Amino acid sequence: MRWTSRVRFLFLMPAVIWVLAFTVFPLGYSLYIAFYKIEQKVEITREKVPMLDEAGEPVLSKSGKPRTKNIVHKKEISTSEFVGGFNFRRLFNDPQVWSAVKVTAIFVGAAVPMQLALGFLLALLFNQHLFGRPALRAVMILPIFATPIAVGYLFFTIFYEEGGPLGFLGIPFLSNPDWALFSVILVDVWQWTPFCFLVFLAALQGLPDELYEAARIDGASAIDMITKVLLPLLQPTIFIVLLLRLAEALKLFDIPFALTGGGPGIATQSYSFLAFRTGLRFFDLGYASAMAYGLLIAVMIIVTLFFRRLRETYG
Amino acid sequence: MAEAPATEVRGRQPGKSGLGEALSSLVAIVVALIFLFPLYWAFSTSLRNPIDTFTVAGLGIPWIDFEPTLDNWISQLATPEAARALGNSTIIAVFASLLALLLGTPAAYALARFRFRIIPNRDLTVWFLSQRVLPPVATVIPFYLVMRSLGLLDTHLALILVNATFTLPFVVVILRQTFMDLPMELEESAFVDGAGYATTFFKIVLPLAAPSIAASGLIIFAFTWNEFLFALTLSSKNVITVPIHMAGGVDSRGVQFWFMAVRAMIAMIPPVLIALIAQRYIVRGLTLGAVKG
Repeated sequence: MRWTSRVRFLFLMPAVIWVLAFTVFPLGYSLYIAFYKIEQKVEITREKVPMLDEAGEPVLSKSGKPRTKNIVHKKEISTSEFVGGFNFRRLFNDPQVWSAVKVTAIFVGAAVPMQLALGFLLALLFNQHLFGRPALRAVMILPIFATPIAVGYLFFTIFYEEGGPLGFLGIPFLSNPDWALFSVILVDVWQWTPFCFLVFLAALQGLPDELYEAARIDGASAIDMITKVLLPLLQPTIFIVLLLRLAEALKLFDIPFALTGGGPGIATQSYSFLAFRTGLRFFDLGYASAMAYGLLIAVMIIVTLFFRRLRETYG
Repeated sequence: MAEAPATEVRGRQPGKSGLGEALSSLVAIVVALIFLFPLYWAFSTSLRNPIDTFTVAGLGIPWIDFEPTLDNWISQLATPEAARALGNSTIIAVFASLLALLLGTPAAYALARFRFRIIPNRDLTVWFLSQRVLPPVATVIPFYLVMRSLGLLDTHLALILVNATFTLPFVVVILRQTFMDLPMELEESAFVDGAGYATTFFKIVLPLAAPSIAASGLIIFAFTWNEFLFALTLSSKNVITVPIHMAGGVDSRGVQFWFMAVRAMIAMIPPVLIALIAQRYIVRGLTLGAVKG
């Protein structure tokens, strides 16, 4: 169109500047503090001052000397010291970090494939004549937008071992370290399988009717239909769902926060959870920034792997 | 937006027998009930007397397994903390969504209609998109430090700015797709008729895109409503949001499942309603426009 370049930039620039200011700048700042050791200390000094009575006269002790009292001054001081790559080196020797990496890797490695596989199977199921399908599909949407923190507490009541609805199973859902991680995975699968399902269903319904007709006439078996026709055709959709789920699952924070508090011990302390605790509970801000950068790099690697496909999608 | 409305039933296997359809329907109903169960359980728990909480039999169906009561709802909604949390979350979500739409809509239009030479459009789009997959824990510490030095900790403004930032890329990517799907002829003929930039954009383009803009606004309202990490970090006493209120009650009062269930319901009802209202836009929205629903 004939819009002048000045008007074009007027449209685009506010958003670009906003993202630069509120995302790119914080990321740069975060990298900067990752090279510092930042300590928040409370400095306590005691001062002896003479005690005064109501009239402002010094109070005298029995021996006639003026009495004194202590005033405690608390001052919060934050010191920062350049430590070079120390925080990054520390990451590799920190058993908590390795534990969090392991927890996050197991979580992502188990939850994401389960969501994709289950979502695809459910999409196949719903891609046919069904009784009351619109209503059933609407029900399947509900978990996606449910407040994650509320979902975590809600499942806390469901996994409650004495008197919860699953109590009869006798499974230590939250008190056993392995089961606790499994429970976190299960909650995420509950929340995000519907997302994969909806997207795959939309993609299946977008395929031309003739395709199904032709496969039927050719006498293709259901398995052949799925593996040789549907999966290849859905590949771009599967990629985008996989990317979004991977990126989202790596952020894992709300559900362990509410469901297990990271426990028992640190059995469900995800990487984001550890970085949050290090930075904003123990205020080791420099180290926490270095930690967060580790996660950022992991996400960037994934996005880069998908980059070409993303460019094609948004071309 | 969607060529086939979500409610339309499109059959895929015309040759399938009635029995097969009945069986598939049965499986689908069971699956839907399994996914519904946790929400149902919150609802059921919220209606129980505290003494019934752990003793109800079976599926905890009101009137059959126990005598329901609204006491938990009434006592929870009557607390000033709950009212304040709802108010805070509403203010933050409304203004963050408006701000994101205000900044994002023109940018989306620019990316849909104009060609930028220095950085190609699709790279700009992917750049916006990549902000969306960024782990929030990487920006929470600098945000905390900046907000602290600006004296903005524990204010609505801090959370409005932060949430607008997170939802802005979503708006840009989704609405770009919407604008690309609009026929360009209308804008061009308006131009030929001598309409200016502002007239074309506000009188022709925006009304056509209004449903999609509204749906995007609702979806990012829900995102902001559900946000937890930044609300936890940037607020302490005054600007308690609904998710923080939800988390707070557990620590201070022990595990009172009946109240927890009410709070979970209060937190979840607005975003879940939004999901149902914006159903047609959800697939496109959550895949950032990559898959048409």
